[in-house]
Amino acid sequence: MSDLDKAICQLRACRPIPETQVRELCYKARELLIEEGNVVGVSAPVTICGDIHGQFHDLMELFRVGGDVPDTNYLFMGDFVDRGFYSLESFLLLLCLKVRYPDRITLIRGNHESRQITTVYGFYDECMRKYGSANVWRYCCEVFDYLALGALVTGAATQLEPSNAGYAEGVILANMPPEDEEIEIEIMDSCNKVTNRYPRNRNLASQQTRSSPESSPSTSASAAPSQIGPAGTGASGYSNGSKSNDGGAVLCVHGGLSPLVDTIDRIRLLDRKQEVPHEGAMCDLLWSDPDDIDGWGLSPRGAGFLFGDNIVKAFNHKNDLSLIARAHQLVMEGFKEMFDNTIVTVWSAPNYCYRCGNVAAILELGEDGSNGGYMPRSNGDVGRREGLAESTVGALKPGPGRRYRVFEAAPQDSRGMPAKKPVAEYFL
Amino acid sequence: MSGLAKGFAKTTLSALPPPPPDPSPRSSEEGVEAVYDDSSSSSSLSSTGTVVPTSSLKAAPAPPVGWSDFFEQELYLDYQTDSLRAQYHVYLTAPSAPNAPLFVCHHGAGSSALSFAPFALELRKLLPTAGVLSLEARDHGSVVASPSSNNAILDFSLPVLTLDALAMIRLTQAKLAWPSLPPLVLVGHSLGGAVLTSVAATFQLGPSVLGYAVLDVVEGSAMDALSSMSALLRSRPSTFPTLQAAIDWHLRSRTLRNPASARASVPSLLVELPSGEWTWRTDLAATQPFWAGWFEGLSRKFLEARGAKLLLLAGTDRLDKELMIGQMQGKFQMHVFPAAGHFIHEDLPAKTAAAVAEFFKRNDRSTLVLPPKVSELLAQASARRDTSTAFRGQAEPNHPEAHDSYEPGFVDTPGAATTVLPQTRLSMSG
Repeated sequence: MSDLDKAICQLRACRPIPETQVRELCYKARELLIEEGNVVGVSAPVTICGDIHGQFHDLMELFRVGGDVPDTNYLFMGDFVDRGFYSLESFLLLLCLKVRYPDRITLIRGNHESRQITTVYGFYDECMRKYGSANVWRYCCEVFDYLALGALVTGAATQLEPSNAGYAEGVILANMPPEDEEIEIEIMDSCNKVTNRYPRNRNLASQQTRSSPESSPSTSASAAPSQIGPAGTGASGYSNGSKSNDGGAVLCVHGGLSPLVDTIDRIRLLDRKQEVPHEGAMCDLLWSDPDDIDGWGLSPRGAGFLFGDNIVKAFNHKNDLSLIARAHQLVMEGFKEMFDNTIVTVWSAPNYCYRCGNVAAILELGEDGSNGGYMPRSNGDVGRREGLAESTVGALKPGPGRRYRVFEAAPQDSRGMPAKKPVAEYFL
Repeated sequence: MSGLAKGFAKTTLSALPPPPPDPSPRSSEEGVEAVYDDSSSSSSLSSTGTVVPTSSLKAAPAPPVGWSDFFEQELYLDYQTDSLRAQYHVYLTAPSAPNAPLFVCHHGAGSSALSFAPFALELRKLLPTAGVLSLEARDHGSVVASPSSNNAILDFSLPVLTLDALAMIRLTQAKLAWPSLPPLVLVGHSLGGAVLTSVAATFQLGPSVLGYAVLDVVEGSAMDALSSMSALLRSRPSTFPTLQAAIDWHLRSRTLRNPASARASVPSLLVELPSGEWTWRTDLAATQPFWAGWFEGLSRKFLEARGAKLLLLAGTDRLDKELMIGQMQGKFQMHVFPAAGHFIHEDLPAKTAAAVAEFFKRNDRSTLVLPPKVSELLAQASARRDTSTAFRGQAEPNHPEAHDSYEPGFVDTPGAATTVLPQTRLSMSG
């Protein structure tokens, strides 16, 4: 058994590894991460996870529910550390797995993967407590600087692989779509039982076209882009016709969009190897939130922006995306799709901070096997620019089939938890 | 500075992480404050921990400092209704430019308007044209009495204090003959945070309120702390032989950690007895029946009121469930100052001012520039198309040339972001 496997075993037991080993691990991880682009290419099938925040036992529960590495291909969208009591073990385990199985796990950066934030929200103090020095914190922060900013998932199937899972108790079968219908969204509980299914609404796009104002000159044009081949391929249409099983590409990023980023290539051009700046594209990608507004808004967080429905749809169209998956915001139900299913928030820290009472979720995207393993490249803006103003609504790509696995906080004893802090000596 | 203190500062500071680029928990201000911050690594919760006296504390006592070093004017605002006769007491530095903001500060229970004195000074260094109005609650410097009996009305319930604060802001406006209120940023510490959050929630000041900042008060932890509050109050000395003794006590007990602030604020907390001794101006024990009412529902109000929201905390993790969810959903901005005690604005006036000034700048509607809205771009594009089709007479509506030069509304460089369409403003969401 290699040292790395031993370290993985030790970390799985929630025991920190020695400082020298951390240093070696971080060095190897950096060598690996430096080779990755700012936007990592990931092929479906993949399981997409949101914030972890040092909730080690819940991360274990996540692996139980979603399958272990390397059997399941994982993509973690940042915020591994801070707030929970086991930031160190959680992050080091993920990093070990990354070094051990580089092609089976992808880590991208969250806003908490930063020196400034970790000094305030717990990771720094935890390293000091567990090692007596800030060295380990420093090694980890160096790794943070090398983490990718986003990932692009290609080759996801529009159709969910049929699962043989039964329905959970209490599910009214009459409300479920018939077995032979194409399922777009399936929600499962932590016992691998289906709690809900939504069939794909094949008429979605055409309905929306109709809902646009009659006077709009775009009606005829809006249908056109769906006939265009995947961007960058130069194809005039999908080889397998309009009934493609290609779910379109999915962009994964911790926070959201930036007014300085109109194409994914713009992300690829950033210099990411630095502390998260206070403004600019890199900051926005890690800090922004979608919101029910028109256009861009000021983020109440003090960093990043709020962005509305039309921003997401324009971005997705321009970049040939069917979905943006992001984390960053606590959602009580574990996941939340917005803006006609063009963006989803995935949150993977159940009962956040041991007090919020929320459930967590992970998002599984299946593999599109219909094209003999070939997948259309999908990442560019070639030829789509002109269409933006006219067809932001009409050209929504069919999203990939999405299976959400919802899970609750792992039962855990309080061993290892720091004693409750004394009540603040508040003065009034 | 003694060799010991120097050495200590050096080792403490070198052990700290490298200072991040911006206002941050542990950077600059070392010169003044780090020396007294001998427990920066320990939690600020242990505010009455061991004290290592530093040489400057032993040195000849510096005299108390008067209000005129910090504010331009001291106002007594008379106000009378059928049910009360009030003389409110506030300190003011008026905004010195049109559209310059006014920061309205409200102290916590048992404190005074001069609690914000050093903060006001630091804030004006960062925003030279900004005004600062520091309010004083009833029985904390303002006097509210019954018109018939002339006895002070000791009703400290939150709605009453909220009305007091609103009255003081309006009376100041009247006194200075401002035709309208300048843009306001409300800054409240502790009880003052609850009062000003309540002011924001009433929306009586309308859209003048850009935002509100609350200093170190969270409903959940305040409620938890209330039970131990009486004991804490009883442990305070009831009299001090001199003002200097009172200042020393505040520093020794680590209630305040910045001597300059203590010299400015402590004298205003005390009144002289006939015996020549000094005692507390405010009888805090008498306010006890109102304590729970001050903080109940604070988290909800803080999240729901209109305007930008800033929460400044000493230490970490004092968030209750409601604020924790709110923070993780990105509903407000938060800064934590691990090195400060409860009186953040007195312990770290420069950093507090920097955070508040940045908060204001970010939310300043007069300069706010957001990227153009898609709907506006579409309107522009269609306007362009309309003109071009007009020239062509009866061209087909979707002529490709009408929009082939059209660039989507994204700005290419950070520099350009500040120059786009000044007329596009934020549609405040919540």
